[in-house]
Amino acid sequence: MELEVKREKLLLRAGTQKFEWHIEPRYWRMPAIWIGLLIVLPIFIYIVYPQLLPTIIDANLLAAIAIPLGWMTIGTGRMNFGPQFYIGAGGYAAALASIHLGWGPAPTLLVALVAGLFFGLLMSPLSIIAGGLYYTLLTLLFPLVFLEVTFIYTDIFKGDVGLFGVLPLISVGNFTLNQFLICMLALFIMLIYLLIVDKLLRSKFAPQMSAINDDEEVAEAMGVNVKKVKIISFTIPAVMMAVLGWFYAHYYGTFAGITYLPLAFMLKILMVSMIGGRVQIYGNVIGGYFIAFLELVLIMLLGDYSPVVFPIILLILLLTLPEGLFGLYRKRRYREYLPTLHVRR
Amino acid sequence: MSEILRVNNVSKHFGGLMAVSDVSLSINAGETVGLMGPNGAGKTTLVNMITGKYDVDAGDVQFMGHDITKMPTYQRCHLGISRTYQIPRPFPELTAIGSVAVSALHGKKRQNQSFEDALTDATHYLEFCGLFSKRNVLGKDLTLYELRSLELARALATTPKLLFVDEVMAGLNPGEAMKAVRLIERAKEEFGVTILWIEHVMAVLMKAAQRVVVLHYGKKIAEGLPQDIANDPFVIECYLGSCHA
Amino acid sequence: MLTTIETTLIYTVLLGSLYLLVSLGFSLICGVLRIFHLGYAYLFVATIYLTWFFYHTLSLPLAVAIILMVILQALISIAIYYGIIARYLKQEEIIITGLLLIALIADQVANRFYPIQAAVYLPTTIIPGSIAVGSTNIAIQLIIAAALGIIVTALFVLFFLKTKTGLAVRAISYDLNTSKIMGIRVEQIYMFVMVLTILPVIVAMLMIAPVWAVDPTMGWGYMYTAILVSVMGGLGNIRGTIIASYIIGFVHAFASFVVAEPRLMNLAALIVVVIMLIIRPQGIAKTESLW
Repeated sequence: MELEVKREKLLLRAGTQKFEWHIEPRYWRMPAIWIGLLIVLPIFIYIVYPQLLPTIIDANLLAAIAIPLGWMTIGTGRMNFGPQFYIGAGGYAAALASIHLGWGPAPTLLVALVAGLFFGLLMSPLSIIAGGLYYTLLTLLFPLVFLEVTFIYTDIFKGDVGLFGVLPLISVGNFTLNQFLICMLALFIMLIYLLIVDKLLRSKFAPQMSAINDDEEVAEAMGVNVKKVKIISFTIPAVMMAVLGWFYAHYYGTFAGITYLPLAFMLKILMVSMIGGRVQIYGNVIGGYFIAFLELVLIMLLGDYSPVVFPIILLILLLTLPEGLFGLYRKRRYREYLPTLHVRR
Repeated sequence: MSEILRVNNVSKHFGGLMAVSDVSLSINAGETVGLMGPNGAGKTTLVNMITGKYDVDAGDVQFMGHDITKMPTYQRCHLGISRTYQIPRPFPELTAIGSVAVSALHGKKRQNQSFEDALTDATHYLEFCGLFSKRNVLGKDLTLYELRSLELARALATTPKLLFVDEVMAGLNPGEAMKAVRLIERAKEEFGVTILWIEHVMAVLMKAAQRVVVLHYGKKIAEGLPQDIANDPFVIECYLGSCHA
Repeated sequence: MLTTIETTLIYTVLLGSLYLLVSLGFSLICGVLRIFHLGYAYLFVATIYLTWFFYHTLSLPLAVAIILMVILQALISIAIYYGIIARYLKQEEIIITGLLLIALIADQVANRFYPIQAAVYLPTTIIPGSIAVGSTNIAIQLIIAAALGIIVTALFVLFFLKTKTGLAVRAISYDLNTSKIMGIRVEQIYMFVMVLTILPVIVAMLMIAPVWAVDPTMGWGYMYTAILVSVMGGLGNIRGTIIASYIIGFVHAFASFVVAEPRLMNLAALIVVVIMLIIRPQGIAKTESLW
């Protein structure tokens, strides 16, 4: 009887019998297994320990923000440091519509979509006009300006108190069941985004995005319509993020710019991307769950000190994991055509 | 022989410098035309204007009956203009096959072409350029000769009618340079492209080109058969100095 | 009306000189190291709260506290340089994220130990009271701060134009690889610049700490101004930075006194910068070099 691990195989010899199991990563790459796990997890938690449901919701939402951000980064070839702007736009649009017009989540979703589309289209020329560094800085500033606008027009945006009385996302009477359903909805949105972006990055649009990522001028000389690709991959992710603003507004019943627009929230999203796997879309899911649970654990363990320790841990992880958490498992192979992040100077 | 490209009196200046002034050019289908001149003569600027990197200050460019003077670069590519770069500019983070696939997918509007089809197409061009064994190597890891071959494969994959070849010889050793020249000649035979060949090594153009255009300080100073150009005293004077045209 | 114009002009000069102090370091790092020091916000917090820690918590004399703070800040700068910037010079995204995290850490640590209720107040006033310039009363401290701003900038410019090290820094900002070949020790110069850039911020913060309010999140606001100034000035050109500082100062003063809506300050400045970027994408400066 002997057991050995050899060349990605688990070998079991028992007498004259020999058994082999492949533990090659690709057998773990079945999306169905992982999606199944993600769906089973909330059900399990709902039955065992429903207090954890908000963390799961949080994790799914963080991942769902980071996924379109990855697409935006790859498609425009620049790092956007202001993703929370679109969350703010969608959230405020939905909350205002809900409060002043008494609309429920379904019609306000449309409002949020329109708001996201409007601001996405309005700002997309920036990805053509501004070069790498200028773009980074300007996108960093836009949410902060938005925050200031919410303070200037206090009568509309209610400043740092936030808008109250947004209609709930789902109400079935039972609080725990409510949370469970919201959790499933968040998971659903995240999986849909994952599916869309994954299909996109495996389609024939991926090479043109990676070409733009690498060298815009040559890409255009080789027949890629650079402006079109950039505007599309700026606007659609912006709309996708605006939907999450809508989700936040209806989920909490309140929306305050001070929660979402400052740099702290942006950093969290950025860390989901970076620690998850350097803008690898699957890494975003891992990163989202990791960061949400890390925050929870730190608050439980350290209480008052957790806001201090949290960024320190993130910094250490950022500097020690060269390819992110997802990179521990997935080594980049040349055969893959998935575009990777490449910030130009 | 029908005319494929016609450049009428184009000019371009950068600040006070006249990079190209009042150059006219005509290329017929199936020709190989050499474009030569000393450093800074405006050869690459002229190509950049025809391919659309720079706007034309004055004059116009006609390609196969279309006025392409103000057309965006990618549309010119779809019409059938392609180029290689003097200093190779690969996609550093893309594999060789990936970068050729980009051209195969977007170089021209094709119907019923999936990503997989484009990859198959790309292997064909890679094999033609002798890079098939390097198909999975990233652009930044290739050597200079391989990069030039890759650039050619990439340009051919857009199915061009007119191909601009920008100084293939620069930086290659004699053996590699000969291989590169033969490769371009084969490409001309196999894909039927018209070639505008920029070079300042006279010997190559003497063999390959049917017609040579000489630029000097942004002006066209001579045009004609390679032998005539080689014996033109004015051209010789420009190359050896003491010329203030 | 005349009074408004007068006030606006006076504050343009005052704010412009202060913004010059605030953004000089950011601009320099942009110009020399060619990176964005998005952790720049930590410098403001560190200056105030480290001094406060030595002065109040350890009950040291103010001068000693300031000296200790400067030394500690220099050490932190060097640590950041070796820990993050030197290691990841090629991977911009890691540098930017890491530096942002550092700013967040500084912010959170200050907030944990000295929250806004702790009433941090540094007695660094040189001459108390205020003086009437025309029809406006201005704190003398602010005037001194503005004067120091101009002096420090002048010293920096002199340093870059007249000394050997300054020449090396300028060479690096023109072309990194060539300067390496010419025998400039780039690593040392980078570190030196990192340390040098903390000085204007320290001067600025010590000067305005008694006049304007301090709180743990103030760094972001100053960094915001620094970013605007250096984007407008052409990312690292000192000449551009000087002009841009006064333009931003003017916009702020204009929003505060002519439009009489101080809350519009930053919005107005951002709009001006965006408009300018659309007209002149490379910023005010002619080149991206240092001077």
